[in-house]
Amino acid sequence: MIPTISSERLEDIGYDRTAACSGHFLVLDHDIIESSKIIDGLEVLPLGEAFEKYPHVKDKLFFGLIDREKNEYTRQASELPPVGYYIRVEDGVTVEEPMQAAFLLALEGSTQVIHNIIELGRGARLHIVNGCTTAAHGRGGRHIGITETYLGEESSLGYTMLHNWGSQVEVYPSGAVAVGEGAHYISNYVAMTAVKKIVSNPVAYVKKGGSARFYSIIYARSGAYFDMGSQAALDGEEASGEIISRVVSEGGTVISRQMLTGNVAGAIGHMECSGLLINSEGVIHSIPELRGAHPDINLSHEAAVGKISSEELSYLRTRGLSEEQARALIIRGFLDLKIEGLPDKIQALIDEIISRSVDAPM
Amino acid sequence: MALLEIHDLHVSADGKDILKGINLEIDEGKTAVIFGPNGSGKSTLMGAICGLPGYRVTRGAIIFQGLDITALPIDERARMGLGISFQHPPAIKGVRLRTMLETLTDDQELIQQYSELLNMGTYLERDINVGFSGGERKRSEILQLMVQAPDLLLLDEPESGVDIENISVIANALKLLLEKEKPIQKRKRSALIITHTGFILDYIRADVAHVIMDGHVLGCGSAAEIFEEIRLNGYKQCSHCFAEKFRDNSLCTEQ
Repeated sequence: MIPTISSERLEDIGYDRTAACSGHFLVLDHDIIESSKIIDGLEVLPLGEAFEKYPHVKDKLFFGLIDREKNEYTRQASELPPVGYYIRVEDGVTVEEPMQAAFLLALEGSTQVIHNIIELGRGARLHIVNGCTTAAHGRGGRHIGITETYLGEESSLGYTMLHNWGSQVEVYPSGAVAVGEGAHYISNYVAMTAVKKIVSNPVAYVKKGGSARFYSIIYARSGAYFDMGSQAALDGEEASGEIISRVVSEGGTVISRQMLTGNVAGAIGHMECSGLLINSEGVIHSIPELRGAHPDINLSHEAAVGKISSEELSYLRTRGLSEEQARALIIRGFLDLKIEGLPDKIQALIDEIISRSVDAPM
Repeated sequence: MALLEIHDLHVSADGKDILKGINLEIDEGKTAVIFGPNGSGKSTLMGAICGLPGYRVTRGAIIFQGLDITALPIDERARMGLGISFQHPPAIKGVRLRTMLETLTDDQELIQQYSELLNMGTYLERDINVGFSGGERKRSEILQLMVQAPDLLLLDEPESGVDIENISVIANALKLLLEKEKPIQKRKRSALIITHTGFILDYIRADVAHVIMDGHVLGCGSAAEIFEEIRLNGYKQCSHCFAEKFRDNSLCTEQ
């Protein structure tokens, strides 16, 4: 039974018990409130239980992709009993409905430490909606999250992360993904609400014929500090990567890092970072990096940072939209990343979050 | 009462005086056309009427629907019933044409009907003007005007960059919007059309024409007669004759 947590807060991050889904996992501070799955072939376990049931999870997967000594946060996580999920999909199983997971920070000033592990068997398919929020508005605290993902050959994982923190919360997620041969990984990251600081730079290691695609949508409000990025190491032949970010600063600071590394023949990668400054208070620092280590690769990037075009604003206003409405329409459009292959439901959820955050009355 | 009255309008842009005392009126239900060579101030006049940034009114007044709108913001003018079709509308990445139209009306059937009329049905889900050809942009502009349904249409070179087939599509939509099927006395909607080729006048009959040169209105009269004069003698050759032939023509003021 879910304790009294505002269902609105949960729905804001995609945790909606009325919506069709394949399973649930809910953590309040360090208490696992719910861990369940609905369909066969999908397994959802607290990580501690998974250690007992599947020794390889502890021996091989736990800190298998991320170095315990990577930084002070990974070190801190490695010293605590793990709290988080282990999600596994058996070979060949396609999970149609998304899996919902939510992590709530409730204790004022506390530090929540989460470690999640995802393992997809050969040919398995899954989409996870992972939401993080505070249990109530205005709470302060710190969230440390580690996610290690292992994708078997020809498998496919969509991983949507929705952050809805408060203005006093600091967040330090670390993520790493091993993309098997012919496997596909799509990451969607959305952060539209106030936050104090988020530092995250997930990396995907992509084998032959596999792909990793990172899409991020960030709205940095006044006082927020983001140091965000994505990396794809294209290690196998014909591996591909795509990193696309849309960043709006309404007074916050965003360092947006992307890195594509092409190490073998046939690697293809592209990245785009577009930044929009709403006022003169914010900073967007885009750092796209390409590293080619083989002549037969194709890596490219585009980056642009600017303000809302006054010509576009005037144009919309000649149709009768107020300046505020026109501005909101342009910002919504700027953030409107249509992601190929994303389930309609997830796209609708992202669209709704963006609209809610940016909207002005029409 | 005229729908639009412009009195002694002086407008500067980029620190340069462009309009130097324009006077004109457009009555309800009437279609007026403005002729003038490149750089004569036609688009500046449109921009000043709409209130676009970059056009500074230094003297005179713009009266619309009986109210002085000279200092009103762009969107307030639009909500009062002014609508413009731009010669070079911007592309707006991420904002779909349908989304724009839905800010103007909740009537999906209307959007569908007008989109089909302008062969724009397949463009509704595309970002406004992104990757549109010249003709597609013009059709998109007219579609937006049809949904907006303003009382006064400001049409800046509606036929430029449009092929013959599409001029006809645009003209048919404009005729519908301007209620050309109704008797003259029953038409409510007015238009001010800028054209320097005059092609659009093969499809839409204008009630009156004004000639602007070097920031002044040099003449006013029958659109057909003035266009014929320009066609035969050009602007430079007959700049003096506009003033002589078409000054104080009875078509130019309220009867």
